[in-house]
Amino acid sequence: MRFLLSRPLCAGPNRKVRTLILALCVLAALSLGGCRKRPQTKHEEGVAVVVPVLTATFIRNFNPFFQTQSRWPSTAGIYEPTIVFNRATGKFVPWLAEEWWWQNDNRRLVLKIREGVKWADGMPLTANDVAFTFRLMERFGALDQSSIWTHLERIETKGSNVHFHFKHPFTTPVLDMIGQQPIVPEHIWNDVEDPVRFANENPIGSGPFNQVLSFKPQMYEVGANPHYWQKGKPGLKKFRLPAIGGNESQALALIGGDIDWAAAFLPAIDRIFVGKDPEHHGYFFPSLEGTVMLYANTTQKPFDQVEVRKALSHAIDRKLIVRIAMQNYTRTADATGLSDLYQAYHDPKVLKEEGDFTTYDPKRAGEMLDAAGIKIGKSGYRTLPDGSPLVVDLNCVVGWSDWIIAAEIVVKNLRAIGVDVTLRTYAFGAWFNKLQTGHFQLSIGWSDGGATPWSFYLRQMSTDSYHPIGQPSENNWQRFVSPKADELLTAFASTGDLSEQKRIASELQREFVRQAPAIPLFPGPTWGQYNNKRIVGFPSKQNPYAPLAPYKAPSQILTMVELRPRGVPPLSQNPGEGAPGRGLLPYRGDASAEAAE
Amino acid sequence: MKFLLRRLGFYLLAAWISLSLNFLIPRLAPGDPASAMQQKFQGKLEPEAIAALTKAFGLSDAPLHIQYVNYLGDLSRGNLGISITYFPTPVSEVLSTALLWTLFLAGLSVIFAFCLGTLLGTLSAWKRGGKLDAIVPPTFIFLGAFPYFWMAMVILFVFAFSLGWFPTRAAYTDTLAPNFTWEFISDMLHHAVLPALSIVLASTGGWLLSMRNTMIGILSADYVTMAQAKGLPENQVMLRYAARNALLPSVTGFGMALGFVLSGSLLTEIIFSYPGQGTLFFEAVKAQDYFLMQGLFLAITIAVLVANWLVDIAYFFLDPRTRR
Repeated sequence: MRFLLSRPLCAGPNRKVRTLILALCVLAALSLGGCRKRPQTKHEEGVAVVVPVLTATFIRNFNPFFQTQSRWPSTAGIYEPTIVFNRATGKFVPWLAEEWWWQNDNRRLVLKIREGVKWADGMPLTANDVAFTFRLMERFGALDQSSIWTHLERIETKGSNVHFHFKHPFTTPVLDMIGQQPIVPEHIWNDVEDPVRFANENPIGSGPFNQVLSFKPQMYEVGANPHYWQKGKPGLKKFRLPAIGGNESQALALIGGDIDWAAAFLPAIDRIFVGKDPEHHGYFFPSLEGTVMLYANTTQKPFDQVEVRKALSHAIDRKLIVRIAMQNYTRTADATGLSDLYQAYHDPKVLKEEGDFTTYDPKRAGEMLDAAGIKIGKSGYRTLPDGSPLVVDLNCVVGWSDWIIAAEIVVKNLRAIGVDVTLRTYAFGAWFNKLQTGHFQLSIGWSDGGATPWSFYLRQMSTDSYHPIGQPSENNWQRFVSPKADELLTAFASTGDLSEQKRIASELQREFVRQAPAIPLFPGPTWGQYNNKRIVGFPSKQNPYAPLAPYKAPSQILTMVELRPRGVPPLSQNPGEGAPGRGLLPYRGDASAEAAE
Repeated sequence: MKFLLRRLGFYLLAAWISLSLNFLIPRLAPGDPASAMQQKFQGKLEPEAIAALTKAFGLSDAPLHIQYVNYLGDLSRGNLGISITYFPTPVSEVLSTALLWTLFLAGLSVIFAFCLGTLLGTLSAWKRGGKLDAIVPPTFIFLGAFPYFWMAMVILFVFAFSLGWFPTRAAYTDTLAPNFTWEFISDMLHHAVLPALSIVLASTGGWLLSMRNTMIGILSADYVTMAQAKGLPENQVMLRYAARNALLPSVTGFGMALGFVLSGSLLTEIIFSYPGQGTLFFEAVKAQDYFLMQGLFLAITIAVLVANWLVDIAYFFLDPRTRR
């Protein structure tokens, strides 16, 4: 009863209702008032909107030593490398270094640094800056992301030349690690106490877009270098980078024409993107990324037998995988495992001679397993020669839908030949940990490699990349070592003769095709879309002078300098060839070289 | 008043316990930030660098109780450590980019959905079997039953892309700088409409149903019959006698919902590219970013406790029994 008689809390219930309704009306009015036609983003002349990676909010960090934590284009654009590896053409193009050569039995690399390059603060860029950058990486190991100092002995400068002294003969593969390192100014970074934890909020770079014009969590702009050393370049005034966190809004912005350059995954791209504006919308997906593999743990039975690995490989329908999981955006892999990045080295003759273990032939796969003593038992599934059932788990990452589809097809294919496989999906961390420590049977995984097949095969079948089970391994998760490959890899890195390197690369392919250390599925595509309504000069299928992908440092810089507003004539006659310079010079013996300097 | 003070004491205790758990759990969990960091740098950290980082992260081999004291000290200074994902940015700075947006978007949508759902629930229970009751609750239940991401994508596609009434992404127009002018605030509201609409459509049904069902039970109570017999105006009976009592369970749920607002709305943020804690959380878990996770947990814990305390205060006013 007391409750009934209690005093009203405020003036009266009706008033409360009215207030609430009023509040609702105000909110509704506000939202409707906001309903105007979609403001067509104003496009200033010479400004390109680029989305290299999906990011929810930007945090100001321009430390060029770390590609993933730093904002685009710190590693190539704000700062610059000495040599740019053009992933689309497979060439090393001169950048801050005009020319380079090997001497002293290929134990020494000399880079001649270009003159007339200036930092954003007007100071000249010299050979000392290059040497300083590498010495900084020696002092702070965390900066040395390519582990160059496991090979380097010391660095010295002579005039405009930088001498890299190696512990052992080391040729082409090293260009990858040395050439692509962004160079930082000594006069600034010398005073940085801890360059590993340095966010470098106001970068002083030498690159074509070295001005950070504005920076907000939701958008930032990098402007052109008014005193860039490549005359007449870059052609654009600035890049604008909006923070886009989701694939959906990126797709809509691309289709709606709000983005000029991006690296998105779009399903049915010809219809939903190109079809919207065939004249201006385009994409270029060269298969240049590492080959996606099915890794079998070669320390476990029965995957220690090469015939078993090859049998599994023959059971897999790669055409189906490429069509369904990859929407035909790439091709099927062959038994060399090489992606198109290594086109110059790829040797089809090896496949003909050794046989391609990636052809789809389930009947043969079954026969090979029978021959290995792994026959179908009472349960309908295969058993090991000792009679124990063969039960296999195939690991994949939760949420990586293309891989999961590929893995599901693999499971279906393997079950069809009587192998009892189950797909297990793990969160990325757990999956990667199992892979790295070698606690898995079968797993889908990427493969990695630098500019030459040397780096690819080194990670697949060498002692260098091998770690025992239990120890985390960066590569060679299958734990496979081939003494033959070790020899060939050393020989490859010791010669400066390109035709000799090609010959050795063929032998490496032969060894891979014979041993099947991993089961290649398909080479990964590099994503890239453009809208050339306002900005032109993008690489394309017709003009593949560089990969289109804006996130591929340092190749991206080749594209960045060529882009220009529509109507402006091409900036260079040979885009993708780099800055003027002679590039690789013939080997020089010691004495003659010293005299030449 | 004693009730409120007692509750406040309880929440302070709960806060202390959860802070301590927040300290303990990462230290007991398998794996550690140093090895996550090591992984991030691909095993290329020098021992000295690891030592320096461990120190920067506030980890040490000191006895647990000393670490604990240091941790509390750091917390009181607002030092939450350094994020691994956004290395070397401090966690507090990373959180600050997202916190307000989450509070704004998810907070307002939850409050709005609660008010709308409760109001509609009250009305449809009052006129149960009427036209409103036949149409509104099924409609909202129907909308709420769609997979959220699907509905959000349809909303994005139709209203932002096809019709172009609203922006497709972001919390405000890129070219504006956040400030307190009408231009910016209207722009911000304009950007918030679609994400908020998607949350409201998805969650109103729940509030509506719970309110309607409790209300129907209460409408058959003796005191409601008596109020009507006394000849009190309809509205007064509906709101002050029935709704006020029916509201109690909903308010508890509301407190929880409000507290969990800070965990962010992951799907909303991804689909509408809206900045917020949900994506941060996702990133943190993916990268085993212990410090960011710890910071986020801390924010959520505090938010849940504060929201519950507010609910207690609301109870204090709604339910005189608690005032004894």
